[in-house]
Amino acid sequence: MTAQYVGQRITRNEDPRLLTGQALFVDDVDLPGMLHAAFLRSDYAHARIKSIDATAARSRPGVVAVYTAEDMGAFWKPGPLLVPAPHSIKDLVFNQRTQIPMARAGDKVRHVGEPMAVVIAESRYIAEDALADIVVDLEPLDAVVDLFRALEPDAPLIHDELGTNLASYVLQEKGNYEQARAQADVVISRRIVIDRGVAAALENRGYVVQWNAREQELTMWATTQAPIALRNLVSATLGISENQMRVIAPFVGGGFGPKIMLCQPEEVLLGWATMKLNRPIKYIEDRRENFLATTMERGQIHDVEIALTRDGQILGLKDVFIHDTGAYNPYALTVPLNTQTHTMGPYEIPNFHTEFKVVFTNKMIVTPVRGAGRPQGVFVMERMMDLAAQELGMNPVEIRRKNMIPADAFPHEQGIIGQDFAQLIYDSGDYPATLEKARQMIGYDQFVKEEQPRFRAEGKHVGIGVACFTEGTAVGPYEGARVTVESSGKVSLVTGVGTQGQGHFTSFAQIVADQLGVDVRDVRVVTGDTAQFHWGTGTFASRGATVAGNAVNAAAASVRAKILKHASKALGAPEKELEIVNGQVRVADIPEKSISLSELALRANPMRGSVEPGTEPGLESTQYFGPQYGATAAGTVAMIVEVDTDTLLVEVKRFVIAHDCGTVLNPLIVDGQVHGGVSMGIGQSFYEQLVYDENGQLLNASFADYLLPRSTDMPHIEIGHLCTPSPLNPMGSKGVGEAGAIPTPACFVQAVENALADYKLEILETPLSPNRLFELVQAANP
Amino acid sequence: MKLDGEYLFNGPREEVWKLVRDPDVLATALPGTQSLNKISDTEFEGVMHLKIGPMAGDFTGKLVVSAEVPPESCTLTVDGKGAAGFAKGVGHVQLIEQADGKTLIKYTGDFQVGGKLASTGQRMIDTVSKSMVRQGLEALDKALQARVAAQAENRPVEYKPPTETEFAGAVAKDVAGGVLSIAEVRMVLYIVPVVAVLILLALILSRCGG
Repeated sequence: MTAQYVGQRITRNEDPRLLTGQALFVDDVDLPGMLHAAFLRSDYAHARIKSIDATAARSRPGVVAVYTAEDMGAFWKPGPLLVPAPHSIKDLVFNQRTQIPMARAGDKVRHVGEPMAVVIAESRYIAEDALADIVVDLEPLDAVVDLFRALEPDAPLIHDELGTNLASYVLQEKGNYEQARAQADVVISRRIVIDRGVAAALENRGYVVQWNAREQELTMWATTQAPIALRNLVSATLGISENQMRVIAPFVGGGFGPKIMLCQPEEVLLGWATMKLNRPIKYIEDRRENFLATTMERGQIHDVEIALTRDGQILGLKDVFIHDTGAYNPYALTVPLNTQTHTMGPYEIPNFHTEFKVVFTNKMIVTPVRGAGRPQGVFVMERMMDLAAQELGMNPVEIRRKNMIPADAFPHEQGIIGQDFAQLIYDSGDYPATLEKARQMIGYDQFVKEEQPRFRAEGKHVGIGVACFTEGTAVGPYEGARVTVESSGKVSLVTGVGTQGQGHFTSFAQIVADQLGVDVRDVRVVTGDTAQFHWGTGTFASRGATVAGNAVNAAAASVRAKILKHASKALGAPEKELEIVNGQVRVADIPEKSISLSELALRANPMRGSVEPGTEPGLESTQYFGPQYGATAAGTVAMIVEVDTDTLLVEVKRFVIAHDCGTVLNPLIVDGQVHGGVSMGIGQSFYEQLVYDENGQLLNASFADYLLPRSTDMPHIEIGHLCTPSPLNPMGSKGVGEAGAIPTPACFVQAVENALADYKLEILETPLSPNRLFELVQAANP
Repeated sequence: MKLDGEYLFNGPREEVWKLVRDPDVLATALPGTQSLNKISDTEFEGVMHLKIGPMAGDFTGKLVVSAEVPPESCTLTVDGKGAAGFAKGVGHVQLIEQADGKTLIKYTGDFQVGGKLASTGQRMIDTVSKSMVRQGLEALDKALQARVAAQAENRPVEYKPPTETEFAGAVAKDVAGGVLSIAEVRMVLYIVPVVAVLILLALILSRCGG
């Protein structure tokens, strides 16, 4: 089997339809008799609800129904815990409080944007007007917004019956930090603050639900990253069997994490409402709702300490941090666990003490957003490296190289437990090589020795930064795929994952095309339809290409074996002499002796006659793949920035990333993922920050006030590929989806400090902004 | 959010105090007020139609007057909510007699805003609230002058409060005034006509040439 497609930079199968506006998105779904939903959302971050009166709303013309928590009866219950707590961690404290479908009279609202009622009407306009008719009598309470305040004994409680705002406590230790500290020549400690941002996908959340009472079946088109899990959880909540519900995730305009949050209040309420009314209902979130009521990420405060020898060797690291989970914690500890496992990064840290407290606050729920806790860990580690380099008079590249895990030390056990509840093991990698490659690509030595002094003499503030990272990807449990050769000779591939733009329709087709000797454009891929494939978990943690891809590979290989078996009989030649080229199976030395895949498919599915016992019909196979643990990708980024000292605007002049994601299926798609990650990383470094006031009000819930980098703000991204294949899967691949987002803020801050070296800044926070940079410059140079 | 300022009324302190404590006058001083009903001497409730930038909506609320020292000072507590969000605040008002028969009013206020107003209206809240307060005080001043004149001439008060449209227009002008102070906006307003003239010239000259 020749690899004609895998590894090739071919254009994507799905692009012609996407670029000409012919692809199906949820909002394109239009059903006869469809109604529209609008949600009454709390304006208060924390309040006790005395009563909700929907009488006026119900009598508005065009309103079909208004539901409150009372109307739901027994269907009202807190959502399921989506990720189990890591009970393998000793002395774990975990207080589960999952989100509720709607706030109830007699209970509280716990964040701005929490639903209190839902209106179903003939049009979205009428539904929104009816929201103003609903009278809610509530008593505002003091809100908790500050993380440390949340833990004070007299702080208002988010969940009264808990008696505390502590959602979780985890302590993990590798080696003995206190001993390491005692032997250190240099100990540096700092407080580092990382703040919240949103994923800001181009497409907001949207659902169309349709209950068919005659067929007793529920169909849900959803902008979800996990159609199968969504089906399983919502059908269970509604009391119908999984088989009665079909979830279709069509093209989705960006996932980035929040769309894997499941049993969202809207999902449950819409499913329940359509069954009650027996009419289809559509709900498309608007941007303000997305800011308030779609999950987000990132608030953490770290108190970190590093202990080193005089020549820059790290003896130990201690990190105590507090993590903001918002008003509820349905996603358990995925994000802070990722932070813990990515703090050590590519470095050898023999003694590592890491502990965190998770607190409830009156803000929106925190679940993974591209990076999913990893950027925080990398930011903390890279800042401490930079401070250590400064303190010891070492070059930032040198101190990193000195502490890196060598290329021959794999698999490398890291001694703490990660988000998949197994011990963190780095499967493969060559970290010094990524550092060296990035260093060369950016021309580090030349910049520092020649260019930077020249810029400085001209009065320009230009700086360079280098940051290294590891990235846990391709975690289990598993995914599956079914490959079928049809009687036309074309191939159909169905897998359970959903697609939000990752190029599955191409990268998976490449795998199948190579195995089966067909044209890559002749492989029709279906993703995200539970009626076609119903076992799987979803797209998250940069796992689609590796986990689903390996399942695709296994299924295609299995079909190939069937093809060769059938063809061998048909052509009367041994299997090892056969090859498949352009949809024809032929004897390698006698090409005229051939049979088409189409013919074989027909023969494999006879309409009459008999078959041998144990025969499976057709040329089809369903296979699953689950890795033993997640493969670790890695890389180094380097950037050169120029800071305008009048406006404090930062321009990224050059951006380099040397990345190792194992075997690459399609370099074009990998580059696209890196570009996307980098733009989110740059956004999180300098533009994007959610601002809450002390009452839990989000003050910048629109793109007028929440800044996203535009294409004109983006540098030209130079990508270098390295490859240490992963031993954990047959294709040797690792994930890359989040790579660009993870190290960028750390590198940005280093580069800005370097550019403003004469101002002697010490930046211990992210994100920055011109305003904040100005404040920091003023503070350091009064 | 803080709202502080002062204003000079053209009338004696006792008259200003009477106006401030008269719900019918207050109702007209802030157009958009659909109703302002007295619950007691110190408590009022009402409905107001507010327009802040692109957001408009009805607000129902309560106004409580406390710590009264007539005609010197009082505290006003406001609590209003509507579809566009909520606003509550406390303001302290001081009336100081001036030598020429005028009255200086000093006010300090602390407000909390929530809902749509807070999340999408941040840029405008400051300008609009200052503008509304100023318009309201100007309207009160005109009412004061009409009343004083009527008393002097012993005839009924002739006073026409500003209409809702006039009021909204004045607020919009204030907001635009804020916008026009931004250099880029001024530049655009300057460049656009210049470019238009250049294009016109080019057209004319090309006609003449051919």
